[in-house]
Amino acid sequence: MILTQESIQEIKEKTAKYPRKKSGILPALTVAYRQLGYVDDEIYHEISKVIKVPYVEIAEAATFYTMFPKKSRGKYLIQVCHNISCALLGADSLISYLEDKLGIKKGETTADNLFTLISVECLGSCSTAPMMQINHDFHENLTREKVDGILETLRSEA
Amino acid sequence: MAEATKKDMPTETAENMVTLTINGRETTVPKGTTVLQAAKELGVHIPTFCWHPKLKPVGACRMCYVEVEKMPKLQVSCALEVMDGMVVHTDSDTVKQGRKAIIEFILLNHPLDCPTCDKGGECDLQNLTFAHGVDDSRFEFQKYRFVDEGMTTTFDDRRIGPEIILNRNRCILCYKCVRANKEAFGEYDLGVYERGSIAEINAAPGEQVDNPFSGNLVEICPVGALTNSDWRYKIRVWLTSTTPSICNYTSSGINTLFFKENHHNKIYRVTSRPSDDIDDGWLPDVTRYGYQIVNSPDRLTTPLVKKEGKQVEATWEEALEIIGKRFGEIKERLGGVCVGALVSPGLDNASLHAASRLMRVGFKSNNIDFRGDYRYLPESSESPFMRLCSRPFKIADIDDSDVIVTFGSDLIREHANEYLRIRKAFNFGNARIFAVNPYQTKSADVSSLELVYLPGTEESVVNGICLAAIEDNLVDAKRGEKFKLKTPTKSSAEAAKVSGVDRESLRTVAEALAEGKKITFFTGEIITRSRQRDLIASALINLHRLFGLKGRAQMSALARYANSKGAEKLGLLPNPRTVVVDKLRGLWGEYPESPARNTDAMMALIKKEEIKGFLILGSNPVMLYPDREFVKEGIEKLDFLVVADLFETETTELADVVLPLASWAEYEGYYVNLEGRTQKAARAVKPIGQAKPGYEIASLIGEALDPEMFQNEQQIHSEVRQLLELDSVIAYPDDFLEVKADTDGSQGDYNLPLYIIDDWHHSGHLTEKAPSLANFASEPYIEIPPQLASELKIAHGDSVRVESEVGKVILPARISEHTQNNVVLVPRNFSSSNVTSLLMRKKRVDRVKISKVDE
Repeated sequence: MILTQESIQEIKEKTAKYPRKKSGILPALTVAYRQLGYVDDEIYHEISKVIKVPYVEIAEAATFYTMFPKKSRGKYLIQVCHNISCALLGADSLISYLEDKLGIKKGETTADNLFTLISVECLGSCSTAPMMQINHDFHENLTREKVDGILETLRSEA
Repeated sequence: MAEATKKDMPTETAENMVTLTINGRETTVPKGTTVLQAAKELGVHIPTFCWHPKLKPVGACRMCYVEVEKMPKLQVSCALEVMDGMVVHTDSDTVKQGRKAIIEFILLNHPLDCPTCDKGGECDLQNLTFAHGVDDSRFEFQKYRFVDEGMTTTFDDRRIGPEIILNRNRCILCYKCVRANKEAFGEYDLGVYERGSIAEINAAPGEQVDNPFSGNLVEICPVGALTNSDWRYKIRVWLTSTTPSICNYTSSGINTLFFKENHHNKIYRVTSRPSDDIDDGWLPDVTRYGYQIVNSPDRLTTPLVKKEGKQVEATWEEALEIIGKRFGEIKERLGGVCVGALVSPGLDNASLHAASRLMRVGFKSNNIDFRGDYRYLPESSESPFMRLCSRPFKIADIDDSDVIVTFGSDLIREHANEYLRIRKAFNFGNARIFAVNPYQTKSADVSSLELVYLPGTEESVVNGICLAAIEDNLVDAKRGEKFKLKTPTKSSAEAAKVSGVDRESLRTVAEALAEGKKITFFTGEIITRSRQRDLIASALINLHRLFGLKGRAQMSALARYANSKGAEKLGLLPNPRTVVVDKLRGLWGEYPESPARNTDAMMALIKKEEIKGFLILGSNPVMLYPDREFVKEGIEKLDFLVVADLFETETTELADVVLPLASWAEYEGYYVNLEGRTQKAARAVKPIGQAKPGYEIASLIGEALDPEMFQNEQQIHSEVRQLLELDSVIAYPDDFLEVKADTDGSQGDYNLPLYIIDDWHHSGHLTEKAPSLANFASEPYIEIPPQLASELKIAHGDSVRVESEVGKVILPARISEHTQNNVVLVPRNFSSSNVTSLLMRKKRVDRVKISKVDE
C-alpha cells in the first residue's frame, strides 16, 4: 500500500458518514492527494479496496476533476485562464511567454520542481483578464512585467 | 400519512394524473412521466441519442430538446417531468434550430468516415443528421483525434473485450454503454474518463469487457464507436432482412431478431426484439452469439451409417431403410418396450410431440424422456418436485415483488435475464431480496442478504426458516403444530446447525415471507439436479402451506431449457399426468400400457441389455449425464442406436446411424418458455445440406417402421395445440408432507464439494462451436475459492488434478471472484473437460479432492 495507515484511517472515517459508498469517492481522493500530491491508477485501486467501490467509479471521478493530477506537481501550480475574455486580452501569448520563461511546455514541471504550468477554463475573473491562479491566489490584469515580478517573488520565497 | 406510503409507483388515480398539451394535443399521464414518454405515447417522435427506455435519463446528448411555454430556454424532454398545464412544442422553429446546433456540435469531433464505418445504414447519428442537421459545419479546425501509442493514423480501433472493438473517435459520449453496464448489468469493466472534448469511454486499464451481457453494449451504441467482430465488415445492414425468432439457449424465451441474407442462406447476427414481459430488450451473450453454430462448417450435412465399424456418408433413403429394418427387428423379436428414446428439451413442440407419438404408437413403449442431464428423476408426474415445477410463474411479476427469494440457483449462469430483472427490482424497488445457495454467487450483488448453506442441506434450510417462524410466532400457531408433526427437526437452532446458516438469517427470511405482499420464490438447477429434489420440494410445499403463501406468492422450480416446459406439458415424460394421458389416448385411439422408464431407468436397462434399440434426438447424454461411465458402458452394449444432432458429438460417435438435425433457425417452431408462454421462432434460413427438423425425422422413422405411422405437419400442430390447452398446474396436497433431513456427508479423502455449472458464456453442449463464444471461453477450467487456492499453493492457470472416487481429470485453475467457501466449480460445456466422469448418479453432492500437478 502506498497510502499510509493514517490516510486509510482518515478515509474510512470520512466515508463512513455517507449513506451511499459512492459519495465517499471525492473525500477519499482528497485525502490521498493531500498525502501524495498526486493520485494515479495504483491509488485508485487502493482507494477502491478501502471504500469498497468499483475501481471504474473512482477513476471516472478522479480523471474528471483537474484537482487530482496523476503526476506530482511543482510547489507552485500556475493555472492560466484561456477562456474568452482572457484569450481576447492575450492569454495565449502570456502562456507562451511563461513557457519560454520557465523553459517548459504547458502541462510540464520545471526541473527544480518549483513550477507547474497549465492552462485552465474560466476561473470567474473575467473583469480582470488576463489572469492566472497560483496555488490559492489570483493574479489579475497580467502583463509580462507583472509575471516577471510574480515569478521573482515566488523564487525568492521558495 | 396515507399519501406518503403511496408515492413509490405512480398509479392511475385522479390525483396522480397530470394533464399537459403537446403540439396542441391534450394528454393525461401519471405524475413522474417524462415529457419524452408522454410524447411517445401520443405518437410524437422526439429524436434522441442517450435516452434508453430501460435506463435512468441523464440528458447527456441534448438531442431531445423541446420548447415549453413560459420556460426561457429549450428543455431536454428525456429528463423533464410533466407538470399540470404544461404546453410543449416539439416541432417549432426554435426546437429545429436547437437540434441543428446540437448535431453540428456533436459532429465537431466526429469523423466523417461513414463509408468505412460498420454502423453506416443503421447509425442514429447518420440518420438524425440527415433528418435534422445542417449540411455544413462552421468548425474549421483540426478535429480532436485519439491516437494509440505507436499508431500514426487516427484510425483508432482497439479491442476492449473478446468481442467488442472500440473506436474512441466516433464516440459521441452519450454514456449509454457505461450506464447500461453499471445500472442494468452491475458490471464495472467500462468507464468514461477525463472530460470535455478529450473525454473517453474505455475499459478499465488491464481489464476486458467480457461480462455475460457485453454484446448489448454494442447493440445500444448509437454510432459506430462500439462494434463486434461477429458482424463487423461482413455485410451491410441494408443487404440483410430480418426474421423474428426466440432464444434456444435459455428458458425465458428471449425474443430475438435474425439478420440474414437470402442468397447466401446465412444468418449474420442476432439482435434483441424487446419485449417488456420477457426480456426488457437485453440479450445475454450466449443468445446473441450462440446463433453462430447454425453457420458452422462442422455441421452434419448428410446421414452417416456405420459400415464395418466406420461411419460413412449415406442418403436419407439408405439410412431410413436401415433404421426401419433394425428397429423393426427389435420390435418384432423383443417388443417395442425394448426401444427407448431421449429427446432434447431444446426442440420445438412439433418435434417433441412427433417423437412421443413415434414411441407410444409406433413402438407401444413408454420409454421416453427429455431430461438427459439429471440424475435420479422423479418416477411420478405428481411427485412433490413436479408439483413445484408446474406452478405458474410470470417473469414480469419479479419487477414489483416486495420479497424475492432465489433458492439453489447460480442465477446469472442459468437464468441470465431473470438475474437482470432482480437487479432492476434491486435498483428501483424496495424489495427484500435473498439468495440462498451452497456457495456465494454473483446474486449477492443484488441481494439484501445471501444465505450460504452447507452443500446437500437444502431441506434443513427450508425447515429452519419454517421453524424460526413458528418459534417467533410469525405464523399461525395451529398450522405450526401440524407442521411440527411431520418434521423430525426439533428447532430452528438444530436446522441452523445442520445447514450452517445462522438462525438470525433464517429468521430474517421468515419475517420477510410472513410480511410480504407479493413474493417471488423460485428454485434453480442446484435443486433440480439434486438427487433429493423431491425431498426439497416437499419442504418447500410445507413452507408454502405454513406461511399461507397462496395468493400472495409465485413459487416455482424454473425450467432450464428453451422448451423444457413444452416437453412437460406435451407429456414427454415416461409418466405424464392423467389428463395428458387421457387426451393422448383420445387423439391416438390408443396408449401403451407398458412400464414407463425415465432417462435414468432407461440407462440402467440399457446396461442390463433389456433395452436394445435407442433413439436420441438432439441430446448428448454421454457428455452431459452426471455419470459418464454408467451411460457410456450401457450405450456401447446397444444393438442399435440412432442419434440426430447438429454436430458430431460424444454420443453420435457411438451411433449406428447418425442423422443431420436442423437447427431452430432453419424451420418454423413453437416453444413454451418457463412461464408457459408459447412463442414462435420463424424459419430464417433453409436447413443446411440435407438436415431435417426433428418432427420430420420422427415422422420418417415412423413411416419406415410402418407406412401408416406417417404424421403430417397439420395433424401434429393440431394435437400440440390441444395438449397445450390442458391445465398444467398440479394442486398441492392438503396436508404437510413428511420431511426427514437426509444426510450425505463427506467421504474420507474426497470431501471438497464439486458443483457442475454452465460457463458464463455457454449453455449446453453445442455453444463451444460458436467462434464468438469461444473467444470468451473455449477451455475447461476449475474455479477455486481464493482461500483454498492459497492453502494448496495453486495459482491462476496452474494445472490441477481433480479426483473423485470414480474418476480423475486435470484442469487449469481459475481463482474465483465470487466463491469464498470451500466449493469448487467446473463448467460442463466443454467436451474436452470430461467432467461427468467424476460424477456418480447415486450421489447427492459430488465430492472431490484437488491437488496441484507438479511440473
